[in-house]
Amino acid sequence: MIEVGFGRALFAWATNPTCAGARTGPWEYFVAACLQLAMCMVGSGQGYATPLDEAAERYRPYMIESIGQALSGARDIRQQIAAGNLAGARKAWISARAGWERSEIFTAGFVPELDEKIDAWPDATAGFHAIEAKLFGANRLDAASETEALVGHLNDLHLKLRDMRLTPQGLLNGTVRLAYEVGESKADGGESRISGTSLDDMRNNVVGIQFAYRTIFAVALESADRKLAETVAGKIEELDKLLVVRDLQHVDIPGLRRTTEELVVALQGAASKLGLGRPTLEVSR
Amino acid sequence: MKVRCLRLIAVGLTLLAAASLGRVGAFPIEGNQSILPAGTELDEDALVKPREVFRSEAKDGVKSYLVNLGNLAFASPAILGGPARQAGMSCETCHVNGAGNPKLYIPKMSTRPGNFDTTGPLFNPKADNQVLDPVRVPSLRGARYLAPYGHDGRTSSLREFVHDVIVTEFAGPEPSPVILDAVVAYIHDIDFLPNPSLGPGGRLTGKISDAERRGEALFLKPFRHQPTMSCAGCHIPSGAFVDHRQHDVGSGGIFKTPTLVNADFNAPYFHDGRYDNFDQVVAHFDRVFDLGLSEQDRGDLVAYLTAVGDGMQPYEREGAGGVLKEVNDFASVLETAIPANDKEVIALAVETIGSELRELTERYPDRKNTSISGGQQERANARIGLKEAILTLRRIDVAAAGGHFDEAAAEYKNYRNLMFAAVPMLLGSAQPWSLFNPETHDAHYAAFRKTMQAKQSAH
Repeated sequence: MIEVGFGRALFAWATNPTCAGARTGPWEYFVAACLQLAMCMVGSGQGYATPLDEAAERYRPYMIESIGQALSGARDIRQQIAAGNLAGARKAWISARAGWERSEIFTAGFVPELDEKIDAWPDATAGFHAIEAKLFGANRLDAASETEALVGHLNDLHLKLRDMRLTPQGLLNGTVRLAYEVGESKADGGESRISGTSLDDMRNNVVGIQFAYRTIFAVALESADRKLAETVAGKIEELDKLLVVRDLQHVDIPGLRRTTEELVVALQGAASKLGLGRPTLEVSR
Repeated sequence: MKVRCLRLIAVGLTLLAAASLGRVGAFPIEGNQSILPAGTELDEDALVKPREVFRSEAKDGVKSYLVNLGNLAFASPAILGGPARQAGMSCETCHVNGAGNPKLYIPKMSTRPGNFDTTGPLFNPKADNQVLDPVRVPSLRGARYLAPYGHDGRTSSLREFVHDVIVTEFAGPEPSPVILDAVVAYIHDIDFLPNPSLGPGGRLTGKISDAERRGEALFLKPFRHQPTMSCAGCHIPSGAFVDHRQHDVGSGGIFKTPTLVNADFNAPYFHDGRYDNFDQVVAHFDRVFDLGLSEQDRGDLVAYLTAVGDGMQPYEREGAGGVLKEVNDFASVLETAIPANDKEVIALAVETIGSELRELTERYPDRKNTSISGGQQERANARIGLKEAILTLRRIDVAAAGGHFDEAAAEYKNYRNLMFAAVPMLLGSAQPWSLFNPETHDAHYAAFRKTMQAKQSAH
């Protein structure tokens, strides 16, 4: 897996398309921008222990705890299914989901192969949404095999967490990506529409964003650029408030989108102040 | 006869193409957390859309600032209020590319696809008249010729009518005068699709079938019991087939005369959309006015109506190119609004274009969409390009809101660099794995439907 550096190059090209020569076309500009950025990255000092690396390390226990909750919830779903308790299985699914959604800062970027197995959508043949469709959609308990697979994947992930290399860049990328995603319209009911828990997903996402920012980046940004740090903290707080509503239908969707984009723009600005590269907006292999 | 047959076959094939290409898109909103009721169908994911023709573009090659601003506002949920704005609906949701939306259906607000109650409880409870009286979604093609406005023809002013729709029907905030002027300018610019069969004075021309010619004669002929009346008396061929008046034609009230130009693509028919086709319409008039039409007469009239109602290239395939063209036209308003320090238009443009680009991003499914295989890197790159454009727009908004218009202008330059070169290239590379590709589209929505069927089957 690699974190896509493409966005950085694209941004560089968009902001200065003539840097590679006045007579070249867009693709040549783009390739030149990629090369320039690659050269810049060589000397960026990433990979050495810095205060941010230490801060990233402080995030690890939270990560282990959140995935631990997801795993424990998934095991509970298994038990409730075995006991024939639909209400209990649903409750356990919601608990497992909460732990997972708080972890989305790092799941997509650090373990994309497991992320796809655990949280595929809308093709709900495996993972959380396959189980959701059975428990909440069809009111059935025949989700034993899907739950067993989910337990296995979460267990694999849980085991990886103690030794996984956490980079500040990777965690900033994840924070930015998740912040952007929270702003996507849930007017159609969102990703967890069958269980009706999309609002909980968003709240847990914001909890994850808030914790990651405070734990890893806040102190360093405050010393580098206090005003920007206040902007970031303020936008996260705004997001939090926008989600204090009765139900998903009452979320101010345009306001949420605007706030998440302002947060992402602020975090993109924060990256250079923190000595990090421009955060990526997508993950790929 | 041969020409008529060919024309009917052509219309049939067009409709068939539209129906088959859009088949997977015909699934409704589900779940109990959506803004609009479960079972709502907006047909937003259709792979074919009505073609839009602009008078100014055909004449001068470009649209004016006001027309582009009006089109932007027309496509913006921000000018509406309440659930419509929350749900991301805009004027464009119902009037797709300035035409109608025959699949639109909102439970308890519609009695059939293609109509809905503009005075119902959903969008503005204050406008609720406590009666389920849905009206069909009309096409706006040629609206500048078609006053008065509203099915009941309640106002001769399009500006007043647009204001009423925004504020009363959809609970929107009071629009600024410039936005109202712009929406009117946009609607006035939407032309009828060309119809080579219509000559001067609205008479059929070219290769006309016998049935069409007989139908035209019947259309012009006085009714047998009301010799002062004829079809053409209200649908005046020389005047866009309208008389600008309201009549009681036995449909339960007094309603304005609708145009017949491009009407092949305006089903369902009548003010409430009660009829699916011209056969039913002709049968209605035969019954209500006791016209004494033979079977052949009816067929001839249908042939004539079909010839009059035709239009060139009524539909076009939905694709990234078309969407980019539209959002680039929208974004052109920033070239005027930023130097003019017009914060209102800048904010409207950023919200609307950003929203359109977010929807476009979702046409390039992310990694977690396992119903689609291949092109993962291309899809990711397309999504990155679009997200960068959206965030660049946001920087324009932030800069303008803070009064930093030079900064906003610099960001707009960045935006253009992205949208006119890099983004089209990236979207082109990802096209085979995008939802614009029918196979990918079908795989995606089949997976979606399967997931949602779990819920439906339990109820």
